[in-house]
Amino acid sequence: MFSIPRHITRSQLLAILLTGAMVLIVFRLFYLQIIQHEYYVALATDEQVKRLEIPANRGMIYAMDGDNPVPLVMNQQVYTLFADPTVVDEPKKVDEAVRSVAGGNLVVEDVLSKITDKSSQYKVLAKNVTLRQAELIKEKKLKGIGFQRVSQRVYPEGEMAAQTLGFVNYEGKGQYGVEQELNDRLTGKDGLLKSVTDVANVPLSIGKDNIRQEPVDGDSVVLTIDRNIQAKAQETLLAGLQRSGATHGSVLVMDPNNGDVLALADFPTYNPTDFTTVTDEKVFRNVATTEPYEPGSVLKTFTIAAGLDRNVIKPDSTFYNTDSIQVKDRTITNALKDVTGTVTMQTALDNSLNTGMVTIAQRLGDGKEITRGARDTMYDYFHNRLGLGERTGVQIANEQPGTLISPDDVQGNAVRYSNMAFGQGLDVTMMQVAAGFSAIVNGGTYYSPTVVAGRMDGSQLVREQHAQERKGVISAEASAQAKEMIHQARTGYTNTDLPGYYVGGKTGTSQTLQDGEYISTQTVGTYLGFGGDDSQSKYVIMVQVSGENMNLEGNKHAMPIFTDLSNWLLGYYQLQPRA
Amino acid sequence: MSYTRTAQYAGRRQQSWGRNQNTTRFVSPVKLGPVMHTIIVALMILVLGLIYLTQASGSAAYDYQASEIDQKINELATKKADLEVENARLSALETVRNSDVAKAMTQPQSTQYVR
Repeated sequence: MFSIPRHITRSQLLAILLTGAMVLIVFRLFYLQIIQHEYYVALATDEQVKRLEIPANRGMIYAMDGDNPVPLVMNQQVYTLFADPTVVDEPKKVDEAVRSVAGGNLVVEDVLSKITDKSSQYKVLAKNVTLRQAELIKEKKLKGIGFQRVSQRVYPEGEMAAQTLGFVNYEGKGQYGVEQELNDRLTGKDGLLKSVTDVANVPLSIGKDNIRQEPVDGDSVVLTIDRNIQAKAQETLLAGLQRSGATHGSVLVMDPNNGDVLALADFPTYNPTDFTTVTDEKVFRNVATTEPYEPGSVLKTFTIAAGLDRNVIKPDSTFYNTDSIQVKDRTITNALKDVTGTVTMQTALDNSLNTGMVTIAQRLGDGKEITRGARDTMYDYFHNRLGLGERTGVQIANEQPGTLISPDDVQGNAVRYSNMAFGQGLDVTMMQVAAGFSAIVNGGTYYSPTVVAGRMDGSQLVREQHAQERKGVISAEASAQAKEMIHQARTGYTNTDLPGYYVGGKTGTSQTLQDGEYISTQTVGTYLGFGGDDSQSKYVIMVQVSGENMNLEGNKHAMPIFTDLSNWLLGYYQLQPRA
Repeated sequence: MSYTRTAQYAGRRQQSWGRNQNTTRFVSPVKLGPVMHTIIVALMILVLGLIYLTQASGSAAYDYQASEIDQKINELATKKADLEVENARLSALETVRNSDVAKAMTQPQSTQYVR
């Protein structure tokens, strides 16, 4: 058994024990404070220092109202009102308060039964409650009621330009339209607050490693869309569809002198606030940029422009029309028969004669065949100069390039190019066609279309440099001649324009492809035209109407929409008619 | 009669001081031992600690004020944004179109142009 040596007194023993204990404590402290220093510092930092994200505000989106920007998409802090039934002590009072202050925001019908059902501690009662409403409810000091703050996009103009705008999903990411295409620019950069906090997460300045990085808000983007033109485009499109019975339609309005897109209307449409209720994804798509199609006869204006620029035709050049023309093993016929004999190119355009366009394509070659040289020339005009078959770069998500077969491709043969001369055998978007057509009627300068006018700096619009332009894609003389021919083609067809203005246009009725074959039971009606005064075209409008198993025509169903909008635009721009 | 000397004066010759310098020095009669020194140092540390704590808690009080002001700024910014949204809604085309003023408007009979 352990015994204490006789020569050690009790006090000495106590001293030895205490010293031993002290040594142990010192070693332990050394271990904790020196060896484990980093570990415990990290633990303490985790406990005391909080990293708080300071969210950046997503940029707003504006449209133009004449020369003034007006908001189309804004941000609003709203609250989700919830209840914890296990804490609610005065259910009737809560029911009364919630109904009286936030009755329009309720997401449940029977509030009382929800707040008395104690099976869950989190019952959402109302959504999108404003700060003022939240304050009014808080003033009543009700137990068991809480608010959760969320930021949401709001759309003061409702459905306006929905397919151009897109929406922001629950992860805060832009989907479709400008929201998706300019997502990085609109998002901004979140800030960071790293600080010692108290129990209530109030940042304290006692820490030595505190960091505060201010958030950088996203750019507020101003679109070229004019809300008045946009609203009118939507209105006339809807009215036109109701008249024709068509189920789908799109209208594009562009300023031919700079490529600004002034309106982009699609039907069916949706309200971006309620994007979750949309069941058909196609409704989100911006048809003018994402759905290439065969535009049909409106592309005859491109063939005419190429022929005029290459000097192979004049408006009064003639050819002999037999209502059919042979290209290799294919016979191409006209839709409108009996305008036969020697006819001018103006007549060919007026009556949309396919044979006339094939003749121009032949004259771009050796005059008899659509030679490789002719095809190269057509490709140069259609693709390189006027931008068909490639993305225009307009700032709308998911833009499609379409298809324009090059003469280098084995499929880029004479038959295909004969079809392309009158708008078949290629897939292009309305945006491409409108941009190319703008160059034809504006004197020969191609402007890449854009929907972004600039950004807001405070309350000031800072205009941005325009996208690229290509001057001289056709000569000014060819442009003037083509414009006059298109004007004649319209005025010879209809007298519905306001007198004293210079308006032109071309119809297009295109068959649709089903399983690689053209079907006769479904056609798409298109109209493409311009308007303005004698000095300048102020706008280009392209209209497309379609419907499943419906034969829709450019002249009957698309042109009236153009006419309504064009006549309104002449007044909107306050253009003076010639005396 | 006796008296207690409150100060001692040492002759200059006893010191190795230079000529024309102060020839006397003051020597306090109060003697502080090592314990007192320790206590004084401890008290000084305590006072310094208290000063530090006062300053630190003082700055924390400013933190709370700053936090309250930040909160107020956020609330006002939210209210401003709400008002801007309300303003945008009230001046939206659909609202304007349905306003009494717009409904009372009539189409002009004719338009004259100044040339």
